[in-house]
Amino acid sequence: MKQNMYIKGVGMTKFDYSQKYWWQFAYEAAIDALKDAKLGISEIDAIIFTGMSSAAGGEHQTHKVSFLSGLFKTNVPVIEVPSVCGGGGVALWTALHLEGFKNILVLAGEKLVDNKSEIVVDYILSAAERVIEQPEGMLFPVQNALIWQQYMKKYQGSMDDLSLIAFKNHENAVLNPHAYFYKRPLELEKIKSSPVVASPLRLMDCSLSINGGAAAVVSTEATDIEVIGSGFATDYILTFERDDITHFKATKMAAKMAYEEAKIQPKDINIAEVHDAFTSVELISYEDLGFAEEGKGGELIRSGKLNRNGEMPVNVSGGLKAKGHPISATGLAQVFEIVNQLRGKCGERQVVNPKIGLTHNIGGAGGSVTVHIFKKI
Amino acid sequence: MIFYQCAKCKKVWQQSVEICPQCFCKLERVKTEKAKVVGISKVGIASLPHPEVPYFALVLEDELGNKWAHKSVKEYAIGEEISFNSNSNSVAIWKTKYDAIDLIEKIFSLLNISLSENSKMVIMPTLVSPNHAYFRENTSPDFLEAVLNFLFEKKVKLDNIKVMAQSFDEAPIEGMAQKSGLLDVCLKSKIMPMDLAKLSFVKKGNLEISEDILNADIVLNLSMMKIGKASASENIYKILKKENFASLKYLQSEEEIVNELKNSLTNIINLGEAEFVQKQNKTIVYPGLILGSKSFLNLDRVFNEIAMVEKLPEILKGVEIQNIETTGRDIKEVKFINN
Repeated sequence: MKQNMYIKGVGMTKFDYSQKYWWQFAYEAAIDALKDAKLGISEIDAIIFTGMSSAAGGEHQTHKVSFLSGLFKTNVPVIEVPSVCGGGGVALWTALHLEGFKNILVLAGEKLVDNKSEIVVDYILSAAERVIEQPEGMLFPVQNALIWQQYMKKYQGSMDDLSLIAFKNHENAVLNPHAYFYKRPLELEKIKSSPVVASPLRLMDCSLSINGGAAAVVSTEATDIEVIGSGFATDYILTFERDDITHFKATKMAAKMAYEEAKIQPKDINIAEVHDAFTSVELISYEDLGFAEEGKGGELIRSGKLNRNGEMPVNVSGGLKAKGHPISATGLAQVFEIVNQLRGKCGERQVVNPKIGLTHNIGGAGGSVTVHIFKKI
Repeated sequence: MIFYQCAKCKKVWQQSVEICPQCFCKLERVKTEKAKVVGISKVGIASLPHPEVPYFALVLEDELGNKWAHKSVKEYAIGEEISFNSNSNSVAIWKTKYDAIDLIEKIFSLLNISLSENSKMVIMPTLVSPNHAYFRENTSPDFLEAVLNFLFEKKVKLDNIKVMAQSFDEAPIEGMAQKSGLLDVCLKSKIMPMDLAKLSFVKKGNLEISEDILNADIVLNLSMMKIGKASASENIYKILKKENFASLKYLQSEEEIVNELKNSLTNIINLGEAEFVQKQNKTIVYPGLILGSKSFLNLDRVFNEIAMVEKLPEILKGVEIQNIETTGRDIKEVKFINN
């Protein structure tokens, strides 16, 4: 970032299966963020939108930038930045690196789960390779199962560690009113005995596809939350073409950029929202983000340090696993959680006095990754 | 497996990009032989693209360390090597990975077909309407070009290759050849395509068959597969004299015509192009496949089984799927929902 950048406001909808119009998810989150920022739309100089779908049926809208202009009654530049599950993070990264604007509204809304399942499946599948991998059975759970299997083989990983991650995130979601699993506790044994989707991954290792919206107002004007590090890296769409299939190179690269810019070390992070599309991805990411040495992610989850009352809580929101994963909105919902945690506004799930928080957002199976670091001023 | 490698920086691609974006070298086609299983996931929950479970998603590795994904209905162990048996009497099925020449080569290998430079070849593309290639009515120009390039790679002499087609309706074959892009492909390869209707026919039983077809060592029936149709069989009718076919249709059942054709021809290799295919409502779907067989009926039956067609064309109703052997890929591995 060429200048100091701040978060002025954040907003999000509840993640659920409600059947609003696609834009209502985005609009509701935007109004929340604008109110939080104490800004009217006339004070927004640009909008960056990210989205994968805009509903399956006749609602589908490709010219979203004009649609949003009409919705917000504004004529400022509106830029659409799709990057599937990593869209929220990439949209934020774009806003932070876009010069010449004071206040930028970064926005996501997804109506992903709809009644036309074949169209929804098609949208989700379009986030990965369609010709070489998917016809060979490589759907997202399968890709991640195979990555995890290679990890297990190399580092003697344990399925019990993944169950602990799912359990932690579900326990956190119970306290988050925005989460799908709010007030819906889940026992560890039920997680461990859930059906196998793609061996070795079980149903309860997978995140929850859901509808929702999230937003943030980014500003050059100083606020109580500064973005001190921002990293973005990509990787090959063919999973098994990568040099190391047990880790996500793009996470390592994006994290390195963010830490260097923030001039801090992984040990300085007090709280993190980590992209847990699958529990295995969360565990591998502990290592890629520098929270644990390679092969030691299992030890870290077993230590309890990542629990809500631990040294560095991870996914206090419930994560993608239990809060829900409305694809492009996920990255901005992570920002919502971290900003509110740094501000001490998270009620029952508030962790003790965090000063520096991190968000980690992945698109596809490690294909586009952003890491952002936020500091309470 | 075919990979593309930059000779200078050694980077490898699975997609058929031609030029290295860093060195600007033309990439070399690298063919590897071994396929060792290095990862297995048993998939137990059905999805729209993969409706039949369980299946096994494998990670395979070749002798150069390249890895790729492979679906199998057969269970393998880590470390096991996969081999694809060839069988000349079966229907060969292979998945496309952008490179059409590789596919054609694979089908010829699976069917145990060898070519010599003196092989007399007749290529019969599907040419049924004056439409652009994206309608997927006719053989794709890319596919015809890949077939020609494959024959040239095998050193088949240009003089021994003929491309022929015939129109059974009012639309002139020349217009179809031009609009479909097939004419350009032929001319680029210095081949003048021929209208079969203007050539000689020989009487064989009730059939009047093109003399060029009967005299060829190999006839390549390039059928553009269409869901719910017997596309390879329909293209084979075009070797008959138009008037002969019209009268036969009046006097005999389609099944009788097909059986007589089947018994009269021993030099036909059917290549079913099914990368993008037309659904019954004429929209396009991507199965990403190629099929090959000496039997056009078996090829049509297998394709319709893969496309999960419920109402088979009349001439395929007597063709029992359980009696057809497949090679390369299993039908269950490549099945797709067509609606």
